[in-house]
Amino acid sequence: MTATDDRPTMIEFKDVHKYYGDYHALRGINGTIKAGEFFSLLGPSGCGKTTLLRTIAGFEDISSGVIMIDGKDMADVAANVRPTNMVFQSYAIFPHMSVEENVGFGLRKDPRSKEDKARAVAEALEQVGLKGFGKRAAHALSGGQRQRVALARALILKPKVLLLDEPLSALDKKMREHMQVELIKLQRQVGITFILVTHDQEEALVMSDRIAVMFEGEIAQLADPETLYRRPATRKVADFIGTMNFIPASILSEAGDKVEVEAKGLGRVALDIAQAPEKTGETPVVGLRPETLTLLYDDQKAPERETDGVIDEVIYFGDMTYYDVYLGGTDVEVRLSMRNVPGRPVLDVGDRVRVAWSPSALVLFR
Amino acid sequence: MKKAPGLRSYTLFYLLFLYGPILLLPIFAFNDSRVVAFPLQGFTTGWFAEMAADQNLRNAAKNSLIIALSVATISTVLGIFAARASVRYRFPGKGPLMSMIMLPLVLPEMIVAMALLVVLLSIGIPLSLFTVILGQTLICTPFAVAILTSAFQSLDRSLEEAALDLGETPWSTFRLIILPLVMPGILASFLICFTISFDEFIIANFLGSGQPILSVYIFGQFRFPAKVPSMLALGTLLVLLSIILLGFAEYMRRRGIAKAGGKVSGGFL
Repeated sequence: MTATDDRPTMIEFKDVHKYYGDYHALRGINGTIKAGEFFSLLGPSGCGKTTLLRTIAGFEDISSGVIMIDGKDMADVAANVRPTNMVFQSYAIFPHMSVEENVGFGLRKDPRSKEDKARAVAEALEQVGLKGFGKRAAHALSGGQRQRVALARALILKPKVLLLDEPLSALDKKMREHMQVELIKLQRQVGITFILVTHDQEEALVMSDRIAVMFEGEIAQLADPETLYRRPATRKVADFIGTMNFIPASILSEAGDKVEVEAKGLGRVALDIAQAPEKTGETPVVGLRPETLTLLYDDQKAPERETDGVIDEVIYFGDMTYYDVYLGGTDVEVRLSMRNVPGRPVLDVGDRVRVAWSPSALVLFR
Repeated sequence: MKKAPGLRSYTLFYLLFLYGPILLLPIFAFNDSRVVAFPLQGFTTGWFAEMAADQNLRNAAKNSLIIALSVATISTVLGIFAARASVRYRFPGKGPLMSMIMLPLVLPEMIVAMALLVVLLSIGIPLSLFTVILGQTLICTPFAVAILTSAFQSLDRSLEEAALDLGETPWSTFRLIILPLVMPGILASFLICFTISFDEFIIANFLGSGQPILSVYIFGQFRFPAKVPSMLALGTLLVLLSIILLGFAEYMRRRGIAKAGGKVSGGFL
């Protein structure tokens, strides 16, 4: 994790709204994106993340609010003169041009000599690992290669911001994981602000310095991946990112920076106020990630707290086993994950177990 | 599944009825007799020579060519505007508007021709090749719109946005990206409109004011039995020309869709 806060601001949203007729697609977006940051817009389809990206590119007008790029209001700046370039979901490789012509397309009005431009194209192609592909026809490329051409074509203009609209969604799993790492490397190398739109929470966590999680046209939380994972601001965010067990709870007392709750199956727990991020008025629940729960073997002692349980389901993943466990004679079921290490047997459905957990891993949603 | 009996002979009969008469054209065009009847009398290319020597026929062909080229050009240009608008933009009344543009496709041509004749005469526009071009453009534009809509539809919208994003203006984007990619569709539309106009009869007859136009001229010549064989020779040439033009048009249309990365479906051929 890099410290992004001391970097200058590259993009700023001030109360951005977007309507399509009656449909309110963006509902008051606020926030800043720092220069050189790898930023992700994450959310389910229809949450407005692509719309927001397209307003940055200038393909969509905003209904109200302000978008600033590098200190400049973009209200009257058309898409073709904004300091942004985009990698499209379909890659949008021009089918009637060669790879070279595609990559060099943005240099058409560049005053440099023909030789210099050709050198720039060759460099851009080398940067994305397509050295020697210049003469190929665009339609003869594989999905991964098209993606690289689209990247080279956008990066050759040295934009201040590179916009990526679900660029990896069309690739298979192996290729996707490979490209994730390549994109991170590339971003570090060129130092340009990257803004990635994705619905894949894992992809966002792996690649981003910071992530804005969006639901229904609003940013639900804007934070670095670790904060997002460990301290989700709302139950919805917690549910969207990774797996989270939700356990019904009631609030007993709230004093100073302590909140005391009674969680079903876990008992009384005292929480720090930092573990209870935001009041949203929903029924109180506490959240626990599967990996913060541990099964205790034999006479192992729990470092902090423990609760009895019965195994309801066993899901074997090879390196890991997931257990669904009923807590302390209640109907509260939690999922927990155990690494399969030698000498630790996989347990069976119906086995009585002891579950260790730590109060500091809890998050309260209320 | 068991096949219903008689379907095969039905199909054969259908095709024979459809194409048999056309096949007779070249047969009699090379037949050495003024009488169009079996048995055949011997091989000759004389009818083609007689046809070529006919000054009136050459005049009619020239007029038809002028009309067809004009109609194909105007219809295709109008078609580009309409197709682009219908594929790319949303505007109030689009549905009814597009239906109205496509309507002449199913409107009886006789009605269109009569209505135009009445209107033109009442506002005092003299009948000429120009009025024929006007009328035929009305008939051909829906074909152009249909073909071009499919060409524009197979174009990924991100291609335009990508060009804009890379610094091009809307106009240079149209010129550098859209036009080259729909060019095969434009060509296909032009060729089909040309073919339709070239053998169109009703409007040419109603609005042509007696000017020699090929289709009308051929019809007239059939009154003279002696002229029939040379007309068959002309017909043979026209069939050949139509097949070549339409085949080329469909080839260009498919190539265009494939080039833009789409899948070929439907179409006229």
